[in-house]
Amino acid sequence: MVNSLLSSVSSSSVAPLIELRGVVKTYASEAGEFTALKGIDLQIYPGEFLGIIGKSGAGKSTLLNMITGVDHLTRGEVIARIGPSPVSVHTLGENDLALWRGRSMGIVYQSFQLLPMLTLLENVMLPMDLCGLYHPRESRRRALELLEMVEIAEHANKLPAFISGGQQQRVAIARALANDPPVLVADEPTGSLDSVTADHIFDLFERLVEQGKTIIMVTHEMALMPRFSRHILIEDGELVSTLQPKAN
Amino acid sequence: MRPRWRKVLLDLFENPTRTLLVVFSIAVGVFSIGVIAGAYVIIANDMSASYAANRPANIELRMDDFDRDFLPVIENAPEIGDVEPRRVFNIRARAANSQAWTTLDIVAIEDFDKNALNLLTPMQGQSKPARREIVIEREVLKEIDIQVGEDLVFQLPDGSEKTLRVVGIVQDPTTGADDFLAPPFAYITMDTLPTLRQPDLFNRIYATVQGNGNDAEYIRRVAADLKDRVEKNGVTVRRTRSALTNQHPLASTVNAILGILLALGVLIVFLSSSLIANTLAALLNQHLRHIGVMKLVGGRDKQVFAMYLVMILSFGLLALALAVPFGGIGAYALAEFIASQLSFNLLGYRIVPLAFVIQIVVGIFVPLVAGFGPVISGSRVSVLSAISGDLASETGSKPQPGAKRETLFERFENAVNAALLRRGIHLPRPLLISLRNTFRRKRRLALTLFTLTMGGAIFVGVFNVRTTLFAYMDNVGRYFVADVTLDFSRPYRLSEIEQVARQVPGVQYVEGWAFASAEILYPDGTVAENLVVLAPPAGSRLVDAEPVSGRWVQAGDTKAIAITEGILRSFPNLKPGDYLDVKVRGQQDRWQVVGLFKFIDREGLIAYGTYEYFSRETNLANRSVSFRVVTDRHDEAYQREMSEKLDKHFRDAGYQISQARPGLSALNNATESLDILVIFLLIMALLTAVVGAMGLTGTMGMNVLERTREIGIMRAIGAVDAEIMRMVIVEGMVIGLISWVLGLFLSIPITYGLSLIVSLAVFETPIEVVFTPLGYLIWLGLVILLSVLASVLPARNAARLTIREVLAYE
Repeated sequence: MVNSLLSSVSSSSVAPLIELRGVVKTYASEAGEFTALKGIDLQIYPGEFLGIIGKSGAGKSTLLNMITGVDHLTRGEVIARIGPSPVSVHTLGENDLALWRGRSMGIVYQSFQLLPMLTLLENVMLPMDLCGLYHPRESRRRALELLEMVEIAEHANKLPAFISGGQQQRVAIARALANDPPVLVADEPTGSLDSVTADHIFDLFERLVEQGKTIIMVTHEMALMPRFSRHILIEDGELVSTLQPKAN
Repeated sequence: MRPRWRKVLLDLFENPTRTLLVVFSIAVGVFSIGVIAGAYVIIANDMSASYAANRPANIELRMDDFDRDFLPVIENAPEIGDVEPRRVFNIRARAANSQAWTTLDIVAIEDFDKNALNLLTPMQGQSKPARREIVIEREVLKEIDIQVGEDLVFQLPDGSEKTLRVVGIVQDPTTGADDFLAPPFAYITMDTLPTLRQPDLFNRIYATVQGNGNDAEYIRRVAADLKDRVEKNGVTVRRTRSALTNQHPLASTVNAILGILLALGVLIVFLSSSLIANTLAALLNQHLRHIGVMKLVGGRDKQVFAMYLVMILSFGLLALALAVPFGGIGAYALAEFIASQLSFNLLGYRIVPLAFVIQIVVGIFVPLVAGFGPVISGSRVSVLSAISGDLASETGSKPQPGAKRETLFERFENAVNAALLRRGIHLPRPLLISLRNTFRRKRRLALTLFTLTMGGAIFVGVFNVRTTLFAYMDNVGRYFVADVTLDFSRPYRLSEIEQVARQVPGVQYVEGWAFASAEILYPDGTVAENLVVLAPPAGSRLVDAEPVSGRWVQAGDTKAIAITEGILRSFPNLKPGDYLDVKVRGQQDRWQVVGLFKFIDREGLIAYGTYEYFSRETNLANRSVSFRVVTDRHDEAYQREMSEKLDKHFRDAGYQISQARPGLSALNNATESLDILVIFLLIMALLTAVVGAMGLTGTMGMNVLERTREIGIMRAIGAVDAEIMRMVIVEGMVIGLISWVLGLFLSIPITYGLSLIVSLAVFETPIEVVFTPLGYLIWLGLVILLSVLASVLPARNAARLTIREVLAYE
């Protein structure tokens, strides 16, 4: 009830890009069942910079995993209207999910998740290679452009281990943008960075939103709240508040 | 190159030790299968081709002396093709500059230019001797150190010596091809015979058949008819032998032995595949995060599957690049060794297409099959579980379904530990950690144990087979108890020889034996087997017989023999008490079989009768041409010394002694050839042990790598380098010792299986299996050593890591 009320706050005349309806996620453990998400209703609109804020263990990463299809929900629905027709994310198999995710969504993690044996350029080219949206020569050119965009092109042929954490995160963002997905999902992307570097990354996200990307970002830092176009607070698997877009 | 294929390429070199381990495990299997398959094909082809190229006779008759006028009887016989008469006799020879005598079989050939059967292959010098010249078979060189142009000294029956010049060395792949224990041959012309005090007469006929030279039944029938014809014309045939044109007489034996090696090769491939499966499962486990990332950015199962499949193929190709050339060389080396042992020629070095194809199939498909399971499960892993290690720690997500419970082993171990504590026994914590670590990865442990246990069981099994073979030879030695055998050119009275022999200090006992040769006949009158009857006095002390059925011959027996089990080949239902039709000196007779015993049947069958009966039958009552002497010591060196003393003593006293042989020499020759077989088996056993050790090294490496973080924590709380190393090494040793215990049990069926196959191939009869602790003890030492060696490198790597490095490890 509370959740549905909260979700209606941010409704608009535009159809939501991603819509969660009554999403429940329950884990079974030796100690019994644990419900990480308790019937989440949420609409994410195009061009939003949505912050999902909550303490450790609140369920924010689980919520992100539901949106990306990385984890399967127990009950409810996740509808994405990213491509030409809506997709029920929760009904897709692992392979369809992988392809859908690769083309529709860029994902950035706190720990960068770059493949250590590939150069930065190759890391950015990898999603294009796997999804087959670009010709190999085109993908190389595009990867270089993306690295330039994140101001790391001069290190293109280095291995991830030879650049700083902040630089690695820029590469991860470039990789997330490789197939030009409309949505970018970031799970604590600044969590392991110093404040100056974190600020740069945040600036980059803001620029991307200005270019029309929709960004969903999970963080536990309340201080970042004002920088999101909208943020939701999550606590014990429930949305407890949501705020309208910040005043520009 | 596309990023995903570049990842595959880089993954190959990311961990060179792991890549080498997988490549070597595949290569060992490919190499051994290549060597054996290659040798098998080369030998199967060249052995018979080389044999056939020298135009082997289909029929050999060993006869009493006959002259040239008798030849038309044979030449005009029905179904007989080419005929060549020869004279074959044995004589003692030595190099001019040596005093060591060796017995040679001299073959006198009528006309070397017309030699059409059992051809000689020139090797050095001339292949056609003139009068008072001799050509030697290359096997002579193993016995006598002589070169072309030097003189061979021959000892004539009267003790005098004659010299012949060696003018050439030849190879004779056909004469005596079925008896690798026969004395070496040398060749002269008929007009040299008088020089060696031999009559200008023949005693052997070599002939081919006009019809199918590869039809054993037909050849045997033609041989029987020829023999009848010869005997009807007044010449006694002592022995008949038949052989196929296109098949070496020992082909089936060699193929059987190669078959055993092939089975071991297949086993090595099988073992190495379990090692590959183990290593690939660990590799996939280490690559889970990579797989997760790829799936996160759009990678699908089939793409991941294809990537790792290509990786496995690359391992296979690297292994092939290593193993195929060495396999080819090894195959030829093995074939060459066997060819030199059996005196035939190979047709030249070549790549065997079949072996090449088998190697490629094994090198490509075995890793694919072994890696299929791990790769399929690795590629199907969900993104969440692939990267959950990172995600869980970062997001605080809750335990997954089916979270770890206390295992049965842990409960057992805790109970044992508690019980020990109650008795005041404290197991050191590091030891407990080692024990627990051993059982953490159960599938990996199971595969490692399987490989190491199989390797050990085969190793032990080979030692048992070796002991079994030698015990059998010892058993055969019970029929050769005498220390010296004295053979004379003419019969002497028993009492006379005993009296003269006793004049030599050390002689304790002398016994004269009678002999008879016979042919065992099928009911249709054709020859089934050649038989030599040895006839010691009833109750002889020099035969310690142990019949497997029936009884031994005894005083009062007439027309009774105890015969070797080899008779069952021709008469499978023969039992003690049954009768055999035989032909002795042209006369048909019936002998009763009173017992069967185990023996080596190479040159026809052996039977024992009583001296009392057979000496009368051969008109040599109270006389003999062969005597057995027992001396006061029984080692081979002393036997050799006594043989020489007795030989000289009898010659000096004017006796016509043809040879004096140490009792153990024949047996030792036979065991030497068994040793070669055992060496091959041991090489294969060592290869299986190597695969096992490689498996253990891989497992320990993977275990340590996966526990890098734990090791860091242990170091952070005070564990020193030595402690870390000890924990890893103890774990390796525990695995090694468990495999040894399992190997104890598994070696039993393997010993029985191997012994049966080997004994059937070599002795053509199953033999009693004997177990020896030697193999078990050597394997225990070896497995401990291998375990320590396999653990030392991973342990050193673990101990070298700094706390910062290991705690930062992902």
